[in-house]
Amino acid sequence: HSPLYNLLYSAWLSLVPSFSAMPSYKLTYFPVRARAEVARQLFYLAGVPFEDVRVPHADWPALKPKTPFGQMPLLEVDGKPLPQSYAINRYLAKEFGFAGKSPFEAAWVDAIADQFKDYNIELRPLFLVLMGFAQGDKDQLLKDVGIPARDKFFGILEKLAKDNGNNGHFVGSSLTWADLLIADHVKTVSIHLPSFLDGFPTVLDTVKKIESTPKLKEWIEKRPDTKF
Amino acid sequence: AMPQYKLYYFAFRGLAEVSRQLFALAEVEYENVGLTPEQWKEFKPKTPFGRIPVLEVDGQLVAQSLAIARYIAKQHGLAGKTPFESAWVDALADQWSDFHRVFKKYWYLRLGVRPGDIEGSKVSVGIPARDSFFPLIVKQLKESTSGFLVGDGVTWVDVLIANAVEDINSKEPEFLSEYPEVVEHQKRVHAIPALKKWIDTRPPSTN
Repeated sequence: HSPLYNLLYSAWLSLVPSFSAMPSYKLTYFPVRARAEVARQLFYLAGVPFEDVRVPHADWPALKPKTPFGQMPLLEVDGKPLPQSYAINRYLAKEFGFAGKSPFEAAWVDAIADQFKDYNIELRPLFLVLMGFAQGDKDQLLKDVGIPARDKFFGILEKLAKDNGNNGHFVGSSLTWADLLIADHVKTVSIHLPSFLDGFPTVLDTVKKIESTPKLKEWIEKRPDTKF
Repeated sequence: AMPQYKLYYFAFRGLAEVSRQLFALAEVEYENVGLTPEQWKEFKPKTPFGRIPVLEVDGQLVAQSLAIARYIAKQHGLAGKTPFESAWVDALADQWSDFHRVFKKYWYLRLGVRPGDIEGSKVSVGIPARDSFFPLIVKQLKESTSGFLVGDGVTWVDVLIANAVEDINSKEPEFLSEYPEVVEHQKRVHAIPALKKWIDTRPPSTN
């Protein structure tokens, strides 16, 4: 559905007393997947309407001072702002049932997400060059930065997926936001470095299973196509 | 029955201190394991991600310092009173984590853990990081009115930030002089009796 449809639907919902328990949601980010994609996927998986606001880069400076931390993504729940992508992801995941089936499992989801964050930061110099945001020696960065970071993190994921019985999840037996986080990253990697993750077949198999979740497959097919 | 908790880290404050403080605040028993470098070498392959701290709950391990802190906090009523409050606690904690990731490049020089140009790094890294982060904390404290960062009681992000502030003040007393509200917050959090008791009696360490 278009953002306008979602907006009208949310407005209609807010006028119907028996539905007024459902909050109105607005998610604001740049017109890319990156740090907002998991939240968008959670809304779609849960069948919950939201305003999917995509801010062109030129419009961001004017918006920035109006946000709590001067950053995006920003979630608004009945107009109340919430910053920080992982806080947003976790909040929505908990509301919609994608945060693990027990507190300990939820802690594992958080741990995988934070380990992914560490890895992503290590990878950043390489990805900035790959995506054209910085100049650099791609091959040198691959050797010095990309491959060590990959082997450390994806080695962990490969073992997690195997130990979990290759059941299509990195932890537990139900879809979590950690699954979505990894799957979206693998998608981005496949665009820029096609054979980069070939050494991690159980991870790739897990991601295929995640992406075949019916509503997720639907979202992936209809969402705006972006390089990251 | 109360779960059996075991917290594994080195024998200094570091990334485990927040979790130790949360156990103290919740008045919950746990085994506080301080590993020597030799013990760490043996333990490392048994950990989920090859890093510590690690929390063991009834024999099962979980990694990552903030995931551990959040888990302990949630189990013991220290993670906010509503889902939205918990989310704001998380947001502030991640904002601190982003700050710390940058700040530590300067701070490790100040601690003498790494060699480098301390004063140069203070100007190019330390001060900008400080001035991007602490105004947000001051703003949050002013909006909150309870003296704590989120809601009307202490949460794990109060403990997280107060711990960092105490560390900064102990090594560089004037560094946060432009943020008196932040220093007051640290004193307020550390005056909570159960936490004060831990701080007054914990094993001494330089960091």
